[in-house]
Amino acid sequence: MIRQAKTKRVSKPQKPQLIHWRLYVVVGFVFALFCSLVGRAAYIQIIEPDKLRHESDMRTLRTTSREVQRGLITDRNGDMLAVSVPVRAVWADPKQVNDNNGFADMRRWQALADVLHEPIEDVLDRVRSNPTKRFTYLKRQVTPAVADYITQLKLPGVFLKSESRRYYPGGEITAQLIGITNIDDVGIEGVENAYNSWLTGTPSKQKVRKSRDGHVVERLDIVQEGESPNDLVLSIDHRIQQLAYRELKRTTEMNQATSGSIVVLDIHTGEVLAMVNTPSYNPNARDNLQTFRMRNRAMTDTFEPGSTIKPFVVAAALEAGTVKSTDIIPTSPGWMRLGGRQVRDPNNYGDMSLARILAKSSNVGISKLALSIPVQQLLGTYQSMGLGSFSGINLTGESAGVIQDRHRWSDFERATLSFGYGLTATTLQLARMYATLGNGGTLYPVSILKLKKPPEGERVISQNVANDVLQMMVGVTEKGGTGTLAHIDGYPVAGKSGTSRKAIAGGYGDDYVALFAGVAPVNNPKLAIVVVVNEPKGDLYYGGSVAGPAFAKVMSGSLQMLNVEPISDKEQVQLAGIAAGRTE
Amino acid sequence: MSKPSLNLPRIVLHDLWRHKWILLLALLVLGHAVAVVYTSHVSRKLTTQWDQLLQERDRLDIEWRNLLLEEQSQTEHSRITRIASKELNMSRPLPSEEVVVKVP
Repeated sequence: MIRQAKTKRVSKPQKPQLIHWRLYVVVGFVFALFCSLVGRAAYIQIIEPDKLRHESDMRTLRTTSREVQRGLITDRNGDMLAVSVPVRAVWADPKQVNDNNGFADMRRWQALADVLHEPIEDVLDRVRSNPTKRFTYLKRQVTPAVADYITQLKLPGVFLKSESRRYYPGGEITAQLIGITNIDDVGIEGVENAYNSWLTGTPSKQKVRKSRDGHVVERLDIVQEGESPNDLVLSIDHRIQQLAYRELKRTTEMNQATSGSIVVLDIHTGEVLAMVNTPSYNPNARDNLQTFRMRNRAMTDTFEPGSTIKPFVVAAALEAGTVKSTDIIPTSPGWMRLGGRQVRDPNNYGDMSLARILAKSSNVGISKLALSIPVQQLLGTYQSMGLGSFSGINLTGESAGVIQDRHRWSDFERATLSFGYGLTATTLQLARMYATLGNGGTLYPVSILKLKKPPEGERVISQNVANDVLQMMVGVTEKGGTGTLAHIDGYPVAGKSGTSRKAIAGGYGDDYVALFAGVAPVNNPKLAIVVVVNEPKGDLYYGGSVAGPAFAKVMSGSLQMLNVEPISDKEQVQLAGIAAGRTE
Repeated sequence: MSKPSLNLPRIVLHDLWRHKWILLLALLVLGHAVAVVYTSHVSRKLTTQWDQLLQERDRLDIEWRNLLLEEQSQTEHSRITRIASKELNMSRPLPSEEVVVKVP
């Protein structure tokens, strides 16, 4: 039956008919759909893609900036003298705090105040006082640990900002030399100031595309080309600097002096190995900075160099040829009258060799030498060795000293010039003069930066004269000299003590400057050291007894650190013999 | 209908073979498209990695700076001098007491 029915139905002639309009409708519909899709796609892709692109960029494009730290300052051996460490600044947006009901949870504000070590009233006051303000610092230079803690407090409207903090591991030892930066990382003193642009870098800014989870997936154009900061290698040897500071501090305290300076120069290159001053300050704790402690006295403060200038008078006289190194100068009766004024020695030394004039620091003897040459020649020698001009150290605040330039000089004035009055110099200049004498008469510019090769020097006195004067100066620290306390066993010293009265309005006062300057070891000179103690108030005020011991300590310690071979006893006896032969 | 040679797969294959170069190009285009997607994915991954390494470098730099400070305070000369003289009973010989050993 079923089959029958089926066959019946099939057998019915029912020709399938195409209903055209239906087809057209369907095809038309599909086509329209397709067109609209294509159209939409084309619209988005070609005709107006900018809007969506903009939307996408708003969600993914970010500008990242790479913070740079100020360059490191190291000594010549790589010891750190100034290091920048990133820290954070805490700031608040008072408007946002007030709008977001930020004071709801006072416990969090209390915690913030506690971690900042500030009274909560102060913190709140800063945020509340002006609710429309958009920015106020709450605390600057907090450590990363504190910053983390503050982030976790999740205070509305309180943010962190990167900045960097400068640490000076050398502390007060290098304080005046290195200087300091201000809170915005700009050098305001010393090396930090002089080489500020070299040390400072600028952060680079770059556009990046970030994915939803915060990873950078594409690096786009650089918005701002950063400049990486440069490091600075100073010529300072931190070990010597430390030793010099320790000895200077001890000397200053023992003599109740107002201030003091020591400069150590490498005589073959003009590099500064140490430059220390007292009183000093701690550059890492700046709560009560006193400006008089911040001055780098070794190059800013001038004084009359006193007897330490005498070897250069001998050098000038030898150079001029008015005396020979073997000449004997009569100084009897121990004083001489020059135009109504008197130049005197403590004792009547009688006939003296040049070496003995230096060893005993005879004013009469040296005045005779100075009067034997034209005054312009003497001043010319001083100037050619760097007095009255800048040393080349290139730091802010350096003083050049005064050396008078006039035509008429009385004999007495010419005499005073020979024992270091009527002209002023800095500790650094004096050290440079001694370095010139020590290296055989070549004047080098002083450098605070470590040099790759020695600089171009300028010969200012002949080798023979320099060597002769150096040999004569050995007697100063030998028995019978004025600087026996500066004697070092093993390293023969060519030094000279000096004591100068400080000028006050209308004459000379009761205060002194005690000096000791010298070069060692004489057989193969390496270092020139000048010790200046300003206004010693103790019983002692002579340069040899105040500054001499510090000189000996610093010199012997430095030479040991630099691995300079001490001379044997035999050589020492020989050398002492030469010195003695010259002295007697 | 009566032609027996109408074997559809064969016709298709034959047709494809006739346009084999176009087909090859089409495949290449496809492959290339996939490669583009893959490369950009890899490049993004590498960029992310690069960025993470840069961050790591910054972190290490900060750590290095802090360690420098620590090293500097630990190796301060005055501290070492103090330890050497007080705890280890060492002293610096005077220059005259030094014995020089020359390396030949």
